[in-house]
Amino acid sequence: MDRTESLPPEIELAQLLQRCAALDSGAFRTLYDKTSPILFGRLLRMLRRRSVAEEALQEVYVRIWERAVQYEAHRGRALAWMVTIARYCAIDLMRRERLTLVGDDVLAEVADESGSGSAGFDKPNNFDHCIGQLSDKTRACLTLAFVEGRSHDEIARLTTSPLGSVKSWIRRGLLSLKECLSGGRQTA
Amino acid sequence: MKSSNRELVDRLAAEYALGTLRGRARRHFERWLVSPQVGNMVKAWEERLAGLEPAPERVVPPATLWRGIEKRLDLRGREHTPVARWLALAASLVFLAFVGVFALRGDPAPTRLASIQEQSGTIYWQVELLGDDVALKIQVRSPHALERGRTHELWVLPAPGVNNGNPVSLGLLPTSGESRRELTAAQRAALTGAKQLAVSLEPAGGSPTGLPTGPVLHVAALVAS
Repeated sequence: MDRTESLPPEIELAQLLQRCAALDSGAFRTLYDKTSPILFGRLLRMLRRRSVAEEALQEVYVRIWERAVQYEAHRGRALAWMVTIARYCAIDLMRRERLTLVGDDVLAEVADESGSGSAGFDKPNNFDHCIGQLSDKTRACLTLAFVEGRSHDEIARLTTSPLGSVKSWIRRGLLSLKECLSGGRQTA
Repeated sequence: MKSSNRELVDRLAAEYALGTLRGRARRHFERWLVSPQVGNMVKAWEERLAGLEPAPERVVPPATLWRGIEKRLDLRGREHTPVARWLALAASLVFLAFVGVFALRGDPAPTRLASIQEQSGTIYWQVELLGDDVALKIQVRSPHALERGRTHELWVLPAPGVNNGNPVSLGLLPTSGESRRELTAAQRAALTGAKQLAVSLEPAGGSPTGLPTGPVLHVAALVAS
């Protein structure tokens, strides 16, 4: 794994996606070569089992090819668009595979990283401030859900918290985040 | 959308983007994505939550995976030689000549049209509603990416209050050439006052449920011709 290598330039990925929409299979291959290690790493992080992540990666690129027409170049965020497809695909596969937790080591790992920054991914303005306003528990819940793809139940078990509390932390955390990012009330 | 509904949908959009909306609730919510309003709420949440994205960890996938993708999408078959392209063009000219002869009998004039296209302007399908929504004519302008065993389905997004606001299928979209079909009474009713058409990705044969089951790839405005 390599965390230091810089990400492929957004503009290049955006152009490749537009060429995919025009059915340019050469552009698709280039896009695959440039981005598959990133998406495969992301899928492994959520799915953990290599065989499932491999299946997911194929499905992700099928979706990228078919949906390249949906990518809106003017919004930028080409890599984020692809990562979102990968995350949603992993969630779909988790359901089918009924994947469950591997270990409780995840939490420490996640806590270390929450708010650690996302080199190369566009953060909304003020994001660090707004995420910092949330309680530690709320932040951990949101991170477990977003980064690891954990369900409410799994988060409750991992954080040894009642399910109802987890659900309401998440709901309130999302609301606070939205308000804070839109420049409204800045509390958690 | 009423403000109470709006709040509920926004909450679901947030949990959808976060990933905690699961199982049947997730499937069910995906059907709502046919609405551009709901789609925009999800996009706004995806952008807000992007700040949680961890730094990438690269893991190179096994080389065999690409072969599988290529096979599923039939990519090799797409690499046409110039000769094959000319033959295809010649064949379509012959087809057009035939169509022309039959067209002399005259279709009713188009009353409304929709261009199904992407942002950059590539038009995939030109859809025409003929003579007061009696018939539908669809012309393929550029081929659209499609996995084997799947199809594109055309929907009308009815005016508020019609068919409970649920999309009504106008049938499958052709992958080449042109198609023309008469519309049923139910389809005509759904088209009354409708302003938009949508295209969803479906299993071969079309949606098994009568509502879009796959992602909605395009929404196009219906305009008077």
